[in-house]
Amino acid sequence: MKPLLAALAAAATLSTTAGAAEPPPTKTPGVLTVGLAMPAAGFQVGAVRGRKVVLAKGLEIDLARILARRLGVPQVRFVNERLFSTLLNPGPKDWDLALAEISVTAPRAKRVDFSAPYLSADQGVLVRRSLATTPRSIAALRGLQLCAERATTGAQVLVKTIKPRRKPLLLSDPSSLSYALFTKRCDAIVADAPTLAVLRRQAPDRYGPLVGRIVTREKYAIALEKGSALRPLVDSALRGVIKDGTLETLRRRWLGVDTAKLRALR
Amino acid sequence: MTPRARGPQAVLAVALAIVIVAAGSAAAAPPAPTVRVALLQGEQLVYAERPGTSLTSAIKALLAGPTKTEAADEITTQIPAGTALRGVSVKNGVATIDLGDTIAVGTRAESLSARITQIVLTATRFPKVRYVRILVKGGTPLGLFPGFVTRYPLTAKDVTAPDIPPPKPPAPEQQGKPSAGTRALQQALADRGFMTAADVDGRPGPRTTSAVVAFQKWTGLGRDGVAGPATRAALLASSRPTPIGAGSGHRVEVLLDRQLALVEDGSQVTRVLDVATGKPGFETPTGSFRVFRKEQRSWSVPYKVWLPWASYFVGGVAFHEYPDVPPNPASHGCVRVPRWDAQWLYQQTPIGTLVTVLGRSR
Repeated sequence: MKPLLAALAAAATLSTTAGAAEPPPTKTPGVLTVGLAMPAAGFQVGAVRGRKVVLAKGLEIDLARILARRLGVPQVRFVNERLFSTLLNPGPKDWDLALAEISVTAPRAKRVDFSAPYLSADQGVLVRRSLATTPRSIAALRGLQLCAERATTGAQVLVKTIKPRRKPLLLSDPSSLSYALFTKRCDAIVADAPTLAVLRRQAPDRYGPLVGRIVTREKYAIALEKGSALRPLVDSALRGVIKDGTLETLRRRWLGVDTAKLRALR
Repeated sequence: MTPRARGPQAVLAVALAIVIVAAGSAAAAPPAPTVRVALLQGEQLVYAERPGTSLTSAIKALLAGPTKTEAADEITTQIPAGTALRGVSVKNGVATIDLGDTIAVGTRAESLSARITQIVLTATRFPKVRYVRILVKGGTPLGLFPGFVTRYPLTAKDVTAPDIPPPKPPAPEQQGKPSAGTRALQQALADRGFMTAADVDGRPGPRTTSAVVAFQKWTGLGRDGVAGPATRAALLASSRPTPIGAGSGHRVEVLLDRQLALVEDGSQVTRVLDVATGKPGFETPTGSFRVFRKEQRSWSVPYKVWLPWASYFVGGVAFHEYPDVPPNPASHGCVRVPRWDAQWLYQQTPIGTLVTVLGRSR
C-alpha cells in the first residue's frame, strides 16, 4: 500500500508541477514585456534610453510587477513609447501588455484588447498660476487657452465637451503639457484627474488650483494585442489583485488623493 | 605587516610630507587646487571647498556630502547618501552626469528639486560647463524631478532664477468681535513684551493666539494658544522676561528649546517673538553671529520659495516671514517669523546686529 500511495502522490505532484510550469504565452518566454508612456505623476515615472526603461516607479509599475508574479512570469521588462498614441496603433506589438492610464473606448477596442478595468477616473482641469478668475463651470472654461495631450481622452473632452472658443493647443507628451501650463502658454490643461492631483501636490507653487473634474467615468484597463491568449490569465490575476485589497493599497500609496471629491464642472 | 595594511600609512606619510613642505615654503607655493561644491544651509546654498581640479572630483565630493565639521555647523545636503556616480563627460559645453538610481529616491518635490540644483550649480562653476544633462542609470529622467524638465540640459539660470512671482502682501487676518476680556489679555501680554501695544484692540485673532503661544513657550505651558485659566493665572503672576545670556546693546537671542526670539536692548527684553526654527536634521546652528545680508524679498534657490523680510546671519540661515509658524521646529534651519512681526523684526536687525542662538535657555 505504502509504495502505491507514494507513487500516486508523486504522480499528483508531477501533474501539478507540469500545470504550473506551463509558461504563460508571453512574447519572450519567462519575461513579461510591459509597454508604458511615461511620465504620469503617481502612475509611472522613471528614466529611459530610447525605448529602453532603466528605472520606473509608480502605481502601474508596481501593478505590472505584481501581475507578473501572479502569472508566474519570473521577469518584467518595461519599454517606453514617447507618444501615448503609439501604444494604441493597430497591428502587432512587441510588448505583452500596456499600462498607461488607458481608458476603454469603443474605437480603441477595435485596435487592442482590454483587460477588466483596474481604476475608474474622470478628467481633471488644472489652471495656471494667477489666472484672473477661477473657472467654476464648463462655460467659464470656453474663453481660455486650453491644452491637452494629443490622442488622449483629455483632448477629446476638450474638443467635444468643452468646445472652446479659442483654438486649443494639443501637445505631444505629458512633460510638454505640464511645462506649457507652468510657462503660461496655456490657461488650463485637461488630463486624467488623478495624475493632475499628484502633479499639483508634488509642486504646488508651479500651478494654480485643480479647479474640478469633467465627469467621464472612464475605466482604466490593461491593453493587449488583438486576440492575445494572455487576456484571460491577466483578467483573473487582476481580479485577485482587486479582491484582496492589493490595488487599494497601491492607490493609497501612489495617488493618495480621492479625485471623486473634486467639484464636477458642468 | 601585510602590504595591504601598510597602504594607508604610506599615504598618510606622503600627506604629512606635503603639509610640511607646504608650511615650509608658504610664501612661494601656490594654494592647493580646490573645487567648490554646492551644499545647503538653512534656505540657501553654501559652497564648500574640496581638494581637486576636475569636474569628476567636484561631483564625487558633492555626492559624499558635508564633512563632520560642516555637519556640526548644520550644513546639509538633499542628495541621498550612497548615490553612485556612473560617469561624467563634457562635450561642447554640456556636462553629462550619470548617477545611480538612489538620486531619485523619495517623492518629496522640494528635496528632489534641491538635488538637481546642487548638481547643476556645482558643475556650472567650471567655465567649460554651460549646460548640465542629468542621467539616471544612463537614462533620461521622465517625471522623476517634479520641479524641472530634465529631458533637456539645464543651465545655472534655469535652477537659480525664481520661477514663481513674489507673493503679494498678505491680506489682514480675520479678527473676531472686540471684547473687554480679550483687551485685558492683550494688555497683559503687551506689558510683558509678547505683543506690541499697537496691537491691543480687544479683538481676538491670530496675533493674539501667537502671543499666547509665545507666553506658553516662555513659561513651559502646553503650546495650544488658548488662554485658559492656567495660562491667564500664570500670565498675571509673571513679569517681563529678561535676557538669558549676559550682553549689552541691541541684540537678538534665539532660544531653540523654547522656540522664541528675544529682541533685547541692554538688560531689557523689548519683544518676545513666537518663531519656528529648524526641524530635526536641519537644526538651526547655535552660536553668536552677525546679520550680514538683508533682502526684503529673498528667493530660496534650492527650495524654490519666497522668503519675505529675510535677515541672514549665518550661511543661508535667516529670520524671515513665513505663512506657517507652527509651535514646534519646522524649517530647513531658518527662523520663521509670523507675518505681522516679520517687517518689524527686519527693521530691528540692521547689518551687524548680534544674533545669539542658544540650544538651551533654562
